[in-house]
Amino acid sequence: MNRLGAIAFACTIVLALVLPQFLKGYGIFLLSMWAVLSVAALGLNLTLGYAGQVSLAQGAFVGIGAYTAALLMQAGWPYPAAFVCSALLCFGVGWILGYPALRVQHHYLAFVTLAFNTLVFLVLRNEEWLTHGTYGISGVMRPVLLGWSTGKPLAYYYFSLGMMALVAAALWWMLRSPWGRAFVALRENPIRALSLGLDTRRYTLMAFAIGSSLGGISGALYAPLVQFIEPNSFALALSFNLLLMVIVGGSGYFFGPFLGALIAVLLPEWLRVTEGYYLLAYAAAVMLMMAFFPYGLFGMVERALRAMRLKRVPPAPTLKAERTRP
Amino acid sequence: MTPVLQVSNLRKSFGGITAVDGVSFEVHEGEILGIIGPNGSGKSTLFNCVLGQLTPSEGEVRIDGKPTTGLRPCDLNRLGVSRTFQLLQVFPQLSVRNNLILAGQEHQGTMASRLFGAADAGLGGAAAQMIEFFRLSHVAEEPAGSLSYGQQKLLDAAMAFMAGPRLVLLDEPAGGVNLTMLASLRERLQTYHAERKATFVVIEHQMEFVMALCTRVLVLAEGRVIAEGLPQDIRKNPVVIEAYLGH
Repeated sequence: MNRLGAIAFACTIVLALVLPQFLKGYGIFLLSMWAVLSVAALGLNLTLGYAGQVSLAQGAFVGIGAYTAALLMQAGWPYPAAFVCSALLCFGVGWILGYPALRVQHHYLAFVTLAFNTLVFLVLRNEEWLTHGTYGISGVMRPVLLGWSTGKPLAYYYFSLGMMALVAAALWWMLRSPWGRAFVALRENPIRALSLGLDTRRYTLMAFAIGSSLGGISGALYAPLVQFIEPNSFALALSFNLLLMVIVGGSGYFFGPFLGALIAVLLPEWLRVTEGYYLLAYAAAVMLMMAFFPYGLFGMVERALRAMRLKRVPPAPTLKAERTRP
Repeated sequence: MTPVLQVSNLRKSFGGITAVDGVSFEVHEGEILGIIGPNGSGKSTLFNCVLGQLTPSEGEVRIDGKPTTGLRPCDLNRLGVSRTFQLLQVFPQLSVRNNLILAGQEHQGTMASRLFGAADAGLGGAAAQMIEFFRLSHVAEEPAGSLSYGQQKLLDAAMAFMAGPRLVLLDEPAGGVNLTMLASLRERLQTYHAERKATFVVIEHQMEFVMALCTRVLVLAEGRVIAEGLPQDIRKNPVVIEAYLGH
């Protein structure tokens, strides 16, 4: 991280800690939602942005995580245990969902994961004995951790923010390890990666499983935040929204999902001043962004900084026409 | 002495077309075997069968006497078999240094230990040496995709050597490289071979490159071995001349 990046990072942390003190309930709720959905977007960024595996099922994992946590807490389990179970269950299911990725890629894989998302939605809606169907689960309690109650909005925001920071730190550390390099290799050139000894099968499954478990963690944070969950919250729209967060922020950029989630959570709210036209305005804004910044906002910033650097220090002359035939 | 690579009666058919038809050969430690032949003679298919990219229809491949037919490329790599590709295969968004570390990291410990170990998998020094050896120091931190074609070819070769392989298969290393870079590549390969006693198998069309680099040459035509011998003998072999020139 360069100096400019470090300053921006420090300012963001200060803002995230201080800003909610001056906000009312709904503002705090939106920021909490940003923190919670950032975790799911981080997971999708690992699967899609780093490892190059298309997934339209991240919303389903948020749902599995949310329902697992809510049901276990209703059964009397303590929140930390329910939280861990949500992450582990999604890790296991994500691992299994990774198997199709060993056989199909790109849009075919997108359809496999899309079908999975639909399947999960149908289970949540139809299996009333377990999920209460369309009635959903209400009264999900916010946890009390070591005597600290997260019942109030501000407390739950700081809890979500802390969890997001922990997940982000763990992911950052993993991506800096040889695993991070292996995930990028999987995305850029799986055949070459295989020839260099990378067990691409295992890394593909791992990318799906870890990304999905972050979806589960996000779900386990989501349920106590909204305190009422029902199947429609985890239908395809959420998966597309999470995909939008990753793409708009910058797929494959570590901080991309945070920015993408902030935009996806806040932009519709800011555009409400347009009243009935806000969805139109939102769609137009997203289309323009994709047309002009296909690498996402972080990609755009990186390219601008590189162009400025090149302007300051022109590149050293290189040998031309080294390639004699295609 | 057990050959490093032993290919016995290898056959590969695609429907009614037999691309490799009963090819057998051995490569001994320290040898540089060149495989030449006109386009469509089955060289790349042979390579892909040896390297696990394709499953042979018949025949057997042994590395150091152990049968390896049907093993996945990653398992073969862990046995000490490395390769370059005909078309460039680097990781464009990773830096030159990270490309090299990646090329060796899977040989360091287990998957779990790599997660908890050093970020460079303990290969920082080895990568620096390889960068120095292949004269890529001035671009070490650049993304591989921003390098010139010749530099990427050098990087591709360097990656194949990063894990200290027992056997390296080079698929058209001279393809698309200008004469200056070609001389540099050949000289680097010869130096590496002399210093490490490495064993190479090279597929190449550039005859001068093959004749200067290889200690023995195998000629394929229509999926079969039509000649085998020292480079100077192959150059004069009338069967080889006819296969290449068609008269």
